[in-house]
Amino acid sequence: MMPDMTQHGKAETKDWKPVANTPVIMFDRVSKTYGRINALGGVSLGISGGVTGILGMNGAGKSTMFKLMMGKVKASSGAIRLFGTDPWKNPAPYSRVGFVPEHEKLHDWMTAFDFVTTFARLHGMTRDEAAGEAARVLSFVSLEDVMPKRIGQFSKGMRQRVKIAHALVNDPELIILDEPLQGCDPLARTTIMNVIKQLGAMGRTVLVSSHILHEIERITEQIVILHRGRVLALGNSHAIREMLDQHPHKIVIDCENPRELAKNFVDLEEVTGITFKTTNKLQIETKHLGEVHKKLPEIIVNSKQLVTGIDNPDDDLQSILMYLTGGSL
Amino acid sequence: MSNRMDTIWSKLDRKSTAIAEFTMRQYRTRISTWAVLGAASVAIFLMLLFYIEAMNTEIEAIDNDGDSFDTDGDGYPDGQERLEGTNPESDQSFPDWVEPDPPEKWINEDDIDWDTLSDGENYVGQDDDGDCENLDTGSQRDTNDNNRECDVVVTIDELNGTINIDADSNVDEDPDEDKYGKEAGHRAFILGIGKFGIVYLLGIFLPLFLATGLIREEMNDGTIHYMLAKPIARGEVLLYRMLGYIGITWPFIIGLCITMALITGFTGPGDGVFRWGDIGVWMTIAWAAMLVSLVYGTIFCGFGIIWKNGVILAILFAAWELGMAFVAILSGGDSSIRYFSVIGWGMIIVDSGVAVCWPDNWQLIQSGLWGGGQGEENWLGEMDYKPLPGAVPLDTFSADSNLGVSSWLAFVISSLVLVFQGVLSWFIGQSIFKGKEVD
Repeated sequence: MMPDMTQHGKAETKDWKPVANTPVIMFDRVSKTYGRINALGGVSLGISGGVTGILGMNGAGKSTMFKLMMGKVKASSGAIRLFGTDPWKNPAPYSRVGFVPEHEKLHDWMTAFDFVTTFARLHGMTRDEAAGEAARVLSFVSLEDVMPKRIGQFSKGMRQRVKIAHALVNDPELIILDEPLQGCDPLARTTIMNVIKQLGAMGRTVLVSSHILHEIERITEQIVILHRGRVLALGNSHAIREMLDQHPHKIVIDCENPRELAKNFVDLEEVTGITFKTTNKLQIETKHLGEVHKKLPEIIVNSKQLVTGIDNPDDDLQSILMYLTGGSL
Repeated sequence: MSNRMDTIWSKLDRKSTAIAEFTMRQYRTRISTWAVLGAASVAIFLMLLFYIEAMNTEIEAIDNDGDSFDTDGDGYPDGQERLEGTNPESDQSFPDWVEPDPPEKWINEDDIDWDTLSDGENYVGQDDDGDCENLDTGSQRDTNDNNRECDVVVTIDELNGTINIDADSNVDEDPDEDKYGKEAGHRAFILGIGKFGIVYLLGIFLPLFLATGLIREEMNDGTIHYMLAKPIARGEVLLYRMLGYIGITWPFIIGLCITMALITGFTGPGDGVFRWGDIGVWMTIAWAAMLVSLVYGTIFCGFGIIWKNGVILAILFAAWELGMAFVAILSGGDSSIRYFSVIGWGMIIVDSGVAVCWPDNWQLIQSGLWGGGQGEENWLGEMDYKPLPGAVPLDTFSADSNLGVSSWLAFVISSLVLVFQGVLSWFIGQSIFKGKEVD
């Protein structure tokens, strides 16, 4: 591929000023194709402030969208503006951005502290400033105890938090997190979700991508649903949820004695049907998935049954998509 | 003042040193780095073993003019009889007024002594054993017809640089093989290992293994995303990564050259304890290797950015450079195709260093190739001289910078050309990197 010689911007953050009165991120009819594959088709968006969840199944275009924002790939058509600047041509806006890539690879040979310090210096900080900031953000993501340890020894959740810390080191106004919860243990999940919520509360613009609706719902109400490179829905998750609730959902519970457990659900008005799938699987049908999920923990505890798994077989995102696309996925 | 220096330093000490430092630490944590540097050191030091062995082996002296023989069997070597004026071919005629010399005395008795040679002065040579001085007639003592008896005429053709040696008979005809061979062998080793081993092989293999993946490996791993998500131009990333690369390779090259200079300086031939005169040559070898590895490194790193199998392009390029290295070495600097290479300019740096530090080098080569004037006439009726040991290798590895300027200027020009090549490679590399979509 021929190099694009139009890139010219210098990474001089001092001279660079964000354009006033413009959304933090603006996509104007942005398309991106890889050969014959249409990764993103005519997306228009403006996002400023608060936490926004980008929902979509694998291959829906979430990562492509982020790569376009981060100037890693060039839009096939349309315009992208980050603080009013085209990120493909000028890396200067990144002085106000923190990016947590999806890639799992990290510099395992570095300590968490070194990693964050090194990348802090790329924001133009001195060694001392970088060290101070690194300590600050690492304790923000609750990693202060393991700062001098090598990243290679970290669990998946800790690695995610190191990545988040490195992205926060410049105190960014915009934070982009590509699937930050993927593969994390419950504790790390909670920590990361709290960090994201906190950032939102601090007035930062946060973008979080995920393919699991529940996760996003625990973080934010503002969601964008991507499907096959297009924005399918945009807005408050409650509104979307309400549309969904008209449709029946299934919850499958793995337990020792499904019949015993089923007794606890019979009286619930939200439950519209109960089926015994196998000897240790109970299936509940409901139109109010959220309500049932709220009551589920209490019921399980009261039943004193050993529950080994809870699953929504028609994955909730998938069912939203089914609904929104009129059943053609 | 120190405060101000602190400020300047801390200003510089941000993005550039952060990436350079990061790169160097990354190299240090990789086993492959140590494997490459270790293998390079072992290979060079193995060559050194041959050198040390050669320096400690006496080169057998040859009686080039045959005057240690006693042709007539009267107990007096022919040389002594000629000196004393008796007939070496008659056992009736011998100098009975002196004791006969042992034959060994007449093996290396007339060493090459061209030390007086300077530009414009072509009268050299001293008939140390007197077997020219004692010839009967004036015309026998002046066979080269320059009206000087018992001299050697060395004519330098300024136009094409060829040297013609025309000696009166029996002058400088029996040089000391060991003395000459050690000196020429020593220089040939330094130039051979320096030009080919260090400037070419090291100059190309270090970047092949260490620079090709400088950006590409990060792209493959996905770790490049961390760097590219920062407010730093991609061209800067490339530049600072290269800084980290030279932070590893340059100290290695310098260290290797210092070690080699010390070992050869102490083991090499000469009257002093240490051969100080070689230091400058080693410095130009190190400098050439540093520049060459920088240019190759930048080019190979660019190949890595262009294509995930950039190492294939790098190997093809290395093959071209290998050809150019041979052209530059074997043509003795006479080929202009070497200007279209990196290595050709690297060799010029070493050649100009040799011209400054060993100003007598060409003379050493010529006298060795002439070998005392002994040889046979070939079918063209020209003399095929029998070269002294070490003369041919030294001739092979020596070259003229042939830029038509002084050695110092040739040094500066070739250094500048290499720097320019490096900057150009960086510029092209960063242009490609900028336009590259990083997934």
